[in-house]
Amino acid sequence: MAALELRHLIKRFAGGVVGVDDVTLTVGDGAFTALVGPSGCGKTTILRMVAGLEEPTSGAVVIGGREVTHLPPAARDVAMVFQNYALYPHLTVRENIGFPLKVRKTQGAEVARRVAHAAELLEIGALLDRKPAQLSGGQRQRVALARAIVREPALFLFDEPLSNLDAQVRAQTRAELVALHRRLGATMLFVTHDQVEAMTMAQSVAVMAQGRVLQEAPPMALYREPQTLAVARLIGSPSINTLVGRTTGERFEGALTCTTTAAPHGDVVLAVRPEHLVLGTAIDAAPATVLLVEPLGPESLVRLRLRSGDVVVARVAGEATCRMGDDVGVRVAAGEGHCFRAGDGTRLT
Amino acid sequence: MTRAETRVVMLAIIVWTVASIGVAWHTLRGIDYGARSRDALARAHALRGRVPTPAFPRDLDVSELAALHKEERPLVVDDPDGSEIVTAAVKDADDWDIIGAVGLYGRWRERAFATAWPAVAALLLGVGMFAGVRPVRDASPRAAAVGGLALFGAAAAATAVQLRASVPALASHAELPASLSRLALPPPSLAFATLLLVCLAVGGALALSAVHWHAAAAGRPARVQETLGAWAFIAPSLLHLVVFTIAPVGFLFWISVHDWDLLATDRPFVGLAHFREIGADPLFWRALRNGLVYALYVPATMIAALAAAVVLDQPLRGIKLLRVVVFLPFVASTVAIALVWQWLLHRDFGLLNVALAAMHLPRVDWLGSPATALPALMLVSAWSQLGYMMVIYLAGLQAIPTSLLEAARLDGASAWQRFRLIRWPLLRPVSTYLLLTGIIWSFHGFTLVYVMTEGGPAHATDVLVYRIFQTAWEFRRFDVAAAMSVVLCAVLLALTALQWRTVKGEAADV
Repeated sequence: MAALELRHLIKRFAGGVVGVDDVTLTVGDGAFTALVGPSGCGKTTILRMVAGLEEPTSGAVVIGGREVTHLPPAARDVAMVFQNYALYPHLTVRENIGFPLKVRKTQGAEVARRVAHAAELLEIGALLDRKPAQLSGGQRQRVALARAIVREPALFLFDEPLSNLDAQVRAQTRAELVALHRRLGATMLFVTHDQVEAMTMAQSVAVMAQGRVLQEAPPMALYREPQTLAVARLIGSPSINTLVGRTTGERFEGALTCTTTAAPHGDVVLAVRPEHLVLGTAIDAAPATVLLVEPLGPESLVRLRLRSGDVVVARVAGEATCRMGDDVGVRVAAGEGHCFRAGDGTRLT
Repeated sequence: MTRAETRVVMLAIIVWTVASIGVAWHTLRGIDYGARSRDALARAHALRGRVPTPAFPRDLDVSELAALHKEERPLVVDDPDGSEIVTAAVKDADDWDIIGAVGLYGRWRERAFATAWPAVAALLLGVGMFAGVRPVRDASPRAAAVGGLALFGAAAAATAVQLRASVPALASHAELPASLSRLALPPPSLAFATLLLVCLAVGGALALSAVHWHAAAAGRPARVQETLGAWAFIAPSLLHLVVFTIAPVGFLFWISVHDWDLLATDRPFVGLAHFREIGADPLFWRALRNGLVYALYVPATMIAALAAAVVLDQPLRGIKLLRVVVFLPFVASTVAIALVWQWLLHRDFGLLNVALAAMHLPRVDWLGSPATALPALMLVSAWSQLGYMMVIYLAGLQAIPTSLLEAARLDGASAWQRFRLIRWPLLRPVSTYLLLTGIIWSFHGFTLVYVMTEGGPAHATDVLVYRIFQTAWEFRRFDVAAAMSVVLCAVLLALTALQWRTVKGEAADV
């Protein structure tokens, strides 16, 4: 196992498009880090540069203290699980898993032993003589994982490995991947556009947009203390509510008002998570009209239009008592809400 | 059946009857026998001495007939029996010389008999139609079969009756003026009417069955209906295939077991004699062996094409132009290729020999020496096929997902391992396709041989198709050529079956 370090990594494509813009990131030895961001933000390009499939324009990739920036993929000791799994269709599952060992001229008995071990770990022992075409999506995913772990690499790379699975299998695989990470103690870099995946699996999440890492932190820290408005918006579902206003020193004043410790500023965006909006008739509640109620079982989402015209979403526990078209009051829960500068989206607190 | 329907059917029968009697009567009155009369004369000539000839008025000989006939009018004479005979001179095919005379009994009685037959036939057909159309209402498949069969049977009977129709006649050959034969002359409309009846019998029966079948359609499962719809859609091209491919192939098989001379009228069945003949012909075996050697250019070209495809798969500047250049020979006319290469391989002026001479190497008579002629042809074939095979391989290479090759790189495979373990196995269906279709094509190879070497020198480039061509069109042995074609057909069929099986086996894999 080894730590991964990215130092001022820049990738400029032909035609001047900047794919990755000065990214510095460290994945500790045995850590599980997720790169999350919208499509086109450069996360896959970073992964490919780490794998050696793409050459960085400048910067360095360091794996286990050894600089590998210009080494071919085979010399880096990394394994990658592709989005479409990239299983060799003409080989059986056994041959697919054994392929990395075979091309390295590992002895037959040793190959058999390690393939059997990997297959056992992923519970695909019964599938070893099938061809990939005869497997379900979840099974293919396991085979791809087995092929990655069979040669015990220093670093695992995952390129949206769950996006081709259906919802139920995906949830199950998430849990299994976490368990696998714990068992192997391996260093893993996981790329996804799905923030739920990133939040649930990774120990540390790096949020990316337009080629840059906006913030890297453990999942809950990222959720609670987003450093920029963009991160606040990217993390959380449904998205965080945003309202424009100003701070006076102890209060935010806009369509909603709340207390804040942010310095006085004229042009402020208040971001409030849906669960921090409280419905009711308190003194400081702002009047709103219910546009839609979405019952989800344990909780309900209530979409509201404020007098200012802004639309916000509130998350209430259990079944909502209001109906579509009702006039209700809404306020920000005490001590919640993040204030950002409207221009560059930096945190004011 | 409703009364209105019955009336329609009855009307159709009456119209058909009247029309056929009219046609028969008209043709008999006109006595425009022409070539048919010449047939009658020939038959009379053949029958001479075998059947008793009737007495004929002594004062009527051919010269007299001829003289009378110059006025272009039939001569009416009286038979000794009291019958009226209408005679007409018969001219040769050029309408120049009088070669004989035909006499028809002119009385209505004989004519009435002749015309009665079509009438009977028409009546039979009418009954058949009536019986056939009647069960339309109860739409059971059994009724359909009965109806069709009834019509078919009636029409067949009508055809048989129709064929019996004849006019009693006398014929005399110019070279044998005193000899006359009594004949039963078919009415001129017979062939047409018979054809019509046969068409009605088959077509009518089919149409009736179809009508019944359609009527019963509601009760059939959707899958059958769909199948039928599909067949209806492919019917036009199927018809084309049957008429222009399957039928000629059938004819080929027929010729191969008969003594079939373009000029002879007699074409007896000879069994496998022609096959024995080609089996004993060393030139046939030579051609077969040459064909097998020639086919070796296919795997050789494939290797070159794959190499070219791997090179041309790189994203380099100007690569598309290069691809076009490599592909170009394939779209060029084979004759043009042959002519250009004939010049390139020319002993004295050819570019190849000029180059050899420049390197102080001896000139080679590429197409003129038995040792080099076939390899030279293989070279030209390889050159012209390279582009095509390259394009197919290129498509195959580009169809391999990039992620597979990237995964292999990460797994530690070297460039050669990536080719040998990933690309080559994944290209196997493409390779099989190219190999088998290439060999099939190579066995078809004719143009290059025909234009460049004509099978020579000393049969060194004599391949099967050229051998067939020469046997048929130069030696006029169509039957032997057909036998060779059957052998070629068998070889190609075997190759196709092999290809079919391999491709199917591989399709299950990926």
